[in-house]
Amino acid sequence: MIISRITKAALDRFRSSLTLRALVYTVALSGTALIILGGVLSVSIGNGLFSRKTEQAVIESNRAKFTVSRLFEGTSGPGSWKLEQALQEVVPELESIGVSQTRQVAFLHSDGQSNPKNLSSPTSVGIDLGLITEDFRNLVISEEELQTRTVQISRAGESTPAILIGQKFTLPGGHRYELYLVYDMYNEQQTLMFVQRTLVLGGFVTLMIIGFFSFLVTSWLVRPVQEAADASELLANGDLDRRLAVRGTDVAAVLATSFNHMADSLQEKITAMGELSKMQQRFVSDVSHELRTPLTTMKLAADYLNDNKEGLPPFTERSIVNLHGQMDRFDMLLADLLEISRYDAEGIEPMFEVHDLNGIVGVCLTAIQPFADSKGVYLEADIPSGAVQCEVDSRRIDRILNNLLTNAIEHGEGKPVLIRVAQNERAVAVSVTDQGIGMSQEELSQAFDRFWRADPSRKRTTGGTGLGLAISYEDAQLHLGKLEVAAEPGLGACFRLTLPKRHDITDIESPLPLAVLKP
Amino acid sequence: MFKILIVEDDDALREQLEIGLMASGFEVCYASNGLDAVPAFEKNKPDLILLDLMLPGKNGIEICTEIRRNSGVPIIMLTARTEDTDMIRGLEAGADDYVTKPYKIEVLVSRIKARLRPLQEPQHPIIKIGPIEMDTLSHEVRKGNKKIALTPLEFKLLLTLAQHPNEVFSREMLLEQVWEYTYKADTRLVNVHVQRLRSKIEDDQEDPKLVVTVRGWGYKAGPE
Repeated sequence: MIISRITKAALDRFRSSLTLRALVYTVALSGTALIILGGVLSVSIGNGLFSRKTEQAVIESNRAKFTVSRLFEGTSGPGSWKLEQALQEVVPELESIGVSQTRQVAFLHSDGQSNPKNLSSPTSVGIDLGLITEDFRNLVISEEELQTRTVQISRAGESTPAILIGQKFTLPGGHRYELYLVYDMYNEQQTLMFVQRTLVLGGFVTLMIIGFFSFLVTSWLVRPVQEAADASELLANGDLDRRLAVRGTDVAAVLATSFNHMADSLQEKITAMGELSKMQQRFVSDVSHELRTPLTTMKLAADYLNDNKEGLPPFTERSIVNLHGQMDRFDMLLADLLEISRYDAEGIEPMFEVHDLNGIVGVCLTAIQPFADSKGVYLEADIPSGAVQCEVDSRRIDRILNNLLTNAIEHGEGKPVLIRVAQNERAVAVSVTDQGIGMSQEELSQAFDRFWRADPSRKRTTGGTGLGLAISYEDAQLHLGKLEVAAEPGLGACFRLTLPKRHDITDIESPLPLAVLKP
Repeated sequence: MFKILIVEDDDALREQLEIGLMASGFEVCYASNGLDAVPAFEKNKPDLILLDLMLPGKNGIEICTEIRRNSGVPIIMLTARTEDTDMIRGLEAGADDYVTKPYKIEVLVSRIKARLRPLQEPQHPIIKIGPIEMDTLSHEVRKGNKKIALTPLEFKLLLTLAQHPNEVFSREMLLEQVWEYTYKADTRLVNVHVQRLRSKIEDDQEDPKLVVTVRGWGYKAGPE
């Protein structure tokens, strides 16, 4: 678990850091190159050492031939003591010639022939006669030239390569002998090992240096890219004044210049759009406000006419009723328009106070009961006992609830509407669930849009201004809360308002589910 | 017959208001700009003032402050919703209530009547709360020997709380009993007027002893 997590962390780091990746690749590739180079060097040095030693050994062996010939000159007499004397001199004589100090000698009487005089086969002290195998002896006996073979000998407990050279001799008197010389290559082996150690160490140091420089160079190259990436991030997060410093005339400078250019035009566009949007909001707000006074006069006049319409001709009376009704609608639209324009202009100053959510819901339910009764909708409340305290602007919460309840009753098709309240550590929630016509996925995504109506025919007879849910959404946002909706066509809709218990709490989880009621 | 002063600069609206109010049985006088408002008040001695906030010459808040210096006459502000902060400042300046444009004449008339209705005859003519003595017949309020000038609304607010010491009144209850709202209304009315009341009767406004806040619920009279 832990290891896999560490591996995963390392992998993530590797994927996310350009510098690290460049560093790893450079070191890996250089390392491979160095290993190949080191291997080639090591092999060729080893070969060089070996062949030089072999050459030297062959030269010395040839020289030994003369030494042996000289030793046995005049030993062809009938007595064997001369021969034996010469035999005793062969090994010391051959051990002392030449430059190679570590030479072992064996002068063996060839097997398989009569040895009537019982001539000895002298050898150096400590020579391992097991090296001289039957095979090799047969080869030496059968060939005229001297034979070489590489063997392993043990020296001071260590195994060391050595060259075994064998040649045959026919001594005066017809005695056939084989001369074996063992040249150990301990020194060469030591040299080779030293060279290899040096190569490994040198390679390692070189790799470190390559890694260090590649890190420096990559960092240096990546820095402008990194700076551009950081600046883009800040720019994307709204810091429109962010720019890059342009240094020199290289590709990094071009990047910086292009980035700055992009940022400039982005800033211009956003500022222009912001101003336009502000002007529009301002305009909506101003228009709405300017309409208030004449609207009030018209409403007062319409009310007065409506109150005194008795006895007027029928057409006049009907006209007054229409005028009066439409003035009310106009009034509601204007009020909502004004409210949403206030949100757009960020001119909202909420008044947070500690309230009991149950209380707010209760007041709302009582107020809407006559409307529910008129539609034949049963309001079912699932409310916890005890206070559900939260810090809210009660007018706005009231407005949201009123809106949700009105919608649920209007679209609930006469089926019961369920109102639930709940709380947890950090949040409180109210949900209003109807069992009406519901909404499709596409409609869901537009539920909080302005002037959007769930009714596809956009029938205007059911009250509301089309701004209700948009305002409710803003109201919830103002509390750092959430207004969410779930719906299924034919099953109904569930609107859920979740609010933090205090208006400085963020990151809340709703204590209520967001789901329609399953039949 | 109650006389009502309308301070409103829009002639059409003012005229329509006059029609509505006269039809409801009030006597009406008016001022059509801010500068005429206080002289019109002094000349006509109205029983109640309807005050538009945005006026040429002198705005509603200044007029309100000026009138409150030596009169407790009920003042109802006529505001547009965008003037929310102005409305609060108007309440702080001493206006008793407000009605948002566009309003219905019935709503306005019911607000006016609520403000003009005399206090119910209390059981005891003298109500005490801490060092405060309230004479419910003469509407005089004394703190020790010092006479305190409360507006009729402030008097009613304090009386409502003082008649039931230590009973907690929610803002909604106070809106219903003092302002006579029969349905949900702006609880800021209560907050602002409790502040104004405290500034007149408390020794230390920051540490009120007579009108105490009960967090999450509302207010009550007296600390004990």
